[in-house]
Amino acid sequence: MLPRQRYHILFMPFLQKLQSAVLPLTVLSWVVLLSSTLLHANAAAAAHFGTPPEWVTLTAQAMFVAGVFLYQRAQPDLLRGTDFVGLLRRLVLGPGLLAIGCVALHLVERFVQFSTPTPDRTLFAVVYTVNLALFVVFLANTKYAWRSLVLFRASPTIASNWAWFEVLLGATLLLRLLNWTPPLTLSYIIIGGLAMFGIYLSSHQKWIAYLNRRQKWEAVLMQLALLLCMTIFVAYFLRIAQDPKLVAPTPQHAFLLLTVFFAAFYALMGLLVTLFNLPTAGIFEQKREEILSLQRLTQLIQKGQNEQEVYDMLFDAAVQTVEADAAWLDVENELRGTLHGKRYNIDEETITAIRTLLADYNLGHIEYLNNDLPNSGGFRGLDLKLGSLIVMPMRSAKRQYGSLYMLKEQRQGFDRENLGILQTFTTQTVLSIENLHLMANSLQNERVQEELKIASSVQDSLIPKNLPIDNWFEIGSHARAAKEVGGDFYDFLHLPGKRLAILIGDVSGKGITAAFHMAQMKGIFHALMQENPLAKDDREKFPVPSKFMSMANRALTHCLEKSSFITASLYIIDYEHGGFVFARAGHCHTLYYHSIKEEVSYFHTAGLGLGIIRNDSYEKHIKNQFYDYNPGDVMVIYTDGIVEARGANQEEYGEERLKQMLERNYYLEADEIKQQILHDLDEFSAGQPMHDDQTLLVIKFKAAQPDSLS
Amino acid sequence: MKITQQSTDNTLTLALDGELDASSSVLLDTELTKPDVLKYQKVLIDCQKLNYISSAGLGVFISHLQQFQDAGVKLVFFNMQEKVHNVFEILGLDALMTIVPSAVEASAI
Repeated sequence: MLPRQRYHILFMPFLQKLQSAVLPLTVLSWVVLLSSTLLHANAAAAAHFGTPPEWVTLTAQAMFVAGVFLYQRAQPDLLRGTDFVGLLRRLVLGPGLLAIGCVALHLVERFVQFSTPTPDRTLFAVVYTVNLALFVVFLANTKYAWRSLVLFRASPTIASNWAWFEVLLGATLLLRLLNWTPPLTLSYIIIGGLAMFGIYLSSHQKWIAYLNRRQKWEAVLMQLALLLCMTIFVAYFLRIAQDPKLVAPTPQHAFLLLTVFFAAFYALMGLLVTLFNLPTAGIFEQKREEILSLQRLTQLIQKGQNEQEVYDMLFDAAVQTVEADAAWLDVENELRGTLHGKRYNIDEETITAIRTLLADYNLGHIEYLNNDLPNSGGFRGLDLKLGSLIVMPMRSAKRQYGSLYMLKEQRQGFDRENLGILQTFTTQTVLSIENLHLMANSLQNERVQEELKIASSVQDSLIPKNLPIDNWFEIGSHARAAKEVGGDFYDFLHLPGKRLAILIGDVSGKGITAAFHMAQMKGIFHALMQENPLAKDDREKFPVPSKFMSMANRALTHCLEKSSFITASLYIIDYEHGGFVFARAGHCHTLYYHSIKEEVSYFHTAGLGLGIIRNDSYEKHIKNQFYDYNPGDVMVIYTDGIVEARGANQEEYGEERLKQMLERNYYLEADEIKQQILHDLDEFSAGQPMHDDQTLLVIKFKAAQPDSLS
Repeated sequence: MKITQQSTDNTLTLALDGELDASSSVLLDTELTKPDVLKYQKVLIDCQKLNYISSAGLGVFISHLQQFQDAGVKLVFFNMQEKVHNVFEILGLDALMTIVPSAVEASAI
């Protein structure tokens, strides 16, 4: 445990006890004071009880004064928040009223004395003692109210100064008690020095700055009332000081004198400072009001849900702050047409007249202050009842939002500060408006992103997840889109008689449009690859690839925009007979590994893309190609996103590199070949953005194993 | 992408310089959409400096193909780089459009 803590634990209860003993002790000492005064005053009582020595009276006096001050000192701070006027009011209405009590008692005593003159001094002594108590209570209250004001937002230095002031004042109590009269010069020095100290402390009047005009007036009145109360008390004591009836020893002269001096001087100082501040209070308050309304505007504007609300707030705040007699607000849309506006105390005709005039002088969209309308060019002709005008444009770096017009009846109505504050207002407003726009845009963006996500997942469901499985072949597939949605597609369809149709394609362009056509193509594929019940023989039950392409071309004619086209290849593999037929409609060449020849090559066949020719002549541009495959053959089909992928030097991956990859990896499983190619592609285009969708299918034919088919 | 125009009485020559991708194809489309273009007998496209053509670029030519045929305007490509020619060929456009090796052949048509 730290020594300091121990000290607190040991002494706190003692101090608390002492604190609670202050009030009873104070009352007791007053009773002792009263009794001793009475014994001095009343000869009969004195004869009976004996006259107490003077030190008893003095000690009782000192104890009473010290008690009252200590008690008042321990009271909670009288100042609540920054309610300075409240503090003064409580002081005047509470302790201040004691002065009336003092006067009343004095008058009663005078009256009694007048109606029944008697040499008996008992009543006089009682009244004197009571009034002394009242005065001490009043002074204690005043002093500690002033303490609150002096220490309001004060530095620690001032706080410690105050503590010294109290200690030194307290010490003067002892002067009288010890019955030591210092030499005249020394007492002047002591009293003068302490008075100077009080004057120094009285200079701390920071609180006055926090009062508005009305409060300042109130403060002046309250301080006058307090000074009056003090004067009453002092007058009373000065008056009776000469009274022959006064028997009591003079009270704690130096202490009370100094306290009165300090209390009065602080009040006087405060009064003067407040008075001198009164003329500037208006401007001070206006600045304060401007700052407050700017704060208010800033907070309110941020709550504004739409542009209209924000403009309303700007307008109201501006009119209020510059105290305009008339005003209007023009709000423009991006094309400089007036959208909507607001007006205050001005009619539409006047607005139009001023607006036209300003436009003539080209002043409608710049900051403009005219404090002498009746004497300026065009305005004289308008015969307005207005003297001053401010035009404050609302603009950002990007655009003009409109202008704010403020008018006053008197000339020289506005100053530079008004211009400044309006500028701050409009800047704030424009910021808020742009914020609102940004918010709206980002919301819109988010919505689009969300929709794209949905489109992406819809498209994903169009890509076959389960590859056809059979022991005649194996397939490895890969597809990735450059954007959320893409234009590449591939699909499988099992046809009767151990046949498999594979479609791969690419819609020109990227993004949503391409994705739509891709979905359409999938629909066309499934619709055309239906068994035709009217077919005469098996061959005609399903369209051959070239027929399919012609029909697809026709189907697309009306729904594909003019500059769009689709490339596709359709393969129909007959794995019972070990052959396939395909047609290439402008799609990338098929890469093929011939296991017999042990050679890799492209099938170079002719074939026009879909949607390029939109009439029946298309049929002439598409051909079927038949091929009998051997076990171990590998077919690689892909979209141009693979061969046109860019490398670090912007060169393309190319057909040649793809071919080399197959030459090196043909012996692997289909999926492994696919992996090898993709790995090589990724290495090639590392660090480059993906330009186009990429799709890759690897089909490896295997030896017929009819036994395992069941 | 830079497009340089050169015209004689009956021939308009557009020299393409750079990559014809989605954004630059808008420029080309603007050029080919001008009504004046259809007044020429021949529109020659100089592809010497055309390094790359995207599907959007091809789309521009495809979309004007029918219009040119209807108006009797011949569309001729020349000086085409191998890889650009390959793109035309894969799509089957070489069968629809006139592609010749050089300016001499182009003007002879």
